[in-house]
Amino acid sequence: MLKNAFLMLVTLALAIGGGGGSVWYALKIQDGVGAIRIGQWTAFPDIGTPAADPYSKARVAREGVLALGRAEGLSFVAERDTAGEQLKRECAYKIEGGFPTARFWTLYAADQSLGVIQTTKPRLAALQSYQVLRQPDNSVIISVSKRPSPGNWLLSDGFGRMYFVLTFYDTPIASSTGLSDVTLPLITKVGCDA
Amino acid sequence: MRRLLHAILLGLVGAGMVHIVVLLLVPEFSERDAWSRLSMASDLYKITRLDAEAGGAPVVKSVDPLFYATACRFDLTDGMVRVNAPGNVPFWSVSVYDRSGHNIYSFNDHTATGRVLDAVVLTPAQMIEVRKDLPEDLQGAIFVEAPIDEGIFVIRSFVPDESWKPIVSRFLDQSSCELQDF
Repeated sequence: MLKNAFLMLVTLALAIGGGGGSVWYALKIQDGVGAIRIGQWTAFPDIGTPAADPYSKARVAREGVLALGRAEGLSFVAERDTAGEQLKRECAYKIEGGFPTARFWTLYAADQSLGVIQTTKPRLAALQSYQVLRQPDNSVIISVSKRPSPGNWLLSDGFGRMYFVLTFYDTPIASSTGLSDVTLPLITKVGCDA
Repeated sequence: MRRLLHAILLGLVGAGMVHIVVLLLVPEFSERDAWSRLSMASDLYKITRLDAEAGGAPVVKSVDPLFYATACRFDLTDGMVRVNAPGNVPFWSVSVYDRSGHNIYSFNDHTATGRVLDAVVLTPAQMIEVRKDLPEDLQGAIFVEAPIDEGIFVIRSFVPDESWKPIVSRFLDQSSCELQDF
């Protein structure tokens, strides 16, 4: 009798604990179903639309996200550099390359929650395309560092993991057909503060 | 021993079922979704700033730091809702979300006549009524036909640099979101 009750308890605990825990874990990890990868950058074009998969839908509901619409823009998130290492706030990076067609784009350094990182300085850790200097071939070189640098400087500060969020506004690549031959800038590590 | 294995196997199958059920129920029962957060901050048809600039923590995670955003909740069973925003800003875009935060329609300032934000959200049934006799002052408006009852209307506006902050703030604070009599 007691053995039966114990077995039932094991079954129920496994079912409820395992089921609930696996959902929680699946929603917590950054990567997910429906992602589009271009180099180091990841985008979720379907997130927040009625066509999204159940995992994205649950994530939208849990985090209270109001995702950008197709006519507004498309966000890409990078969490690793070209060497495959995680981006760190104490390191300096160079973001270099051409950007796809868009009315304008914004780039910012983000923390785990994808909000802009809080720096101790009045300067925002963000850049936008109207204010950047361009190379003769229309590509852009951005230095990400704690210290000011010539050209385009994106301030980063503090310690811990960092993400880059690159958002294109009013862009043809937001429609699914445009994403096939898009190239995005490369992120290379320049050095780290010990 | 065999009975324990049986119990574990049953538990794993059960876990799979619970996983699916929980996953599908999260959007239904979430109290942290955008609608719930907004309803804690303000009433229906009230324009609410989403960014932290207005003071206090942001209501809904508004992602881009170079953007300001406002939202208003509406209920189309009360009637159609009209949103206006005066002024000229470098870029604005609008999204209409349903009750569970799905983006069902979006447009930006290039879509609008003379780049003026003047939009009406209404159900297909209300659209038929409006089409019969289009009022004079609605002729330039963008009509968003949405097969929903409750929804959220979000205006986002680009802030290129410091100097645009007051202008964009004014643009969003002067926007209106109201029930349109028809």
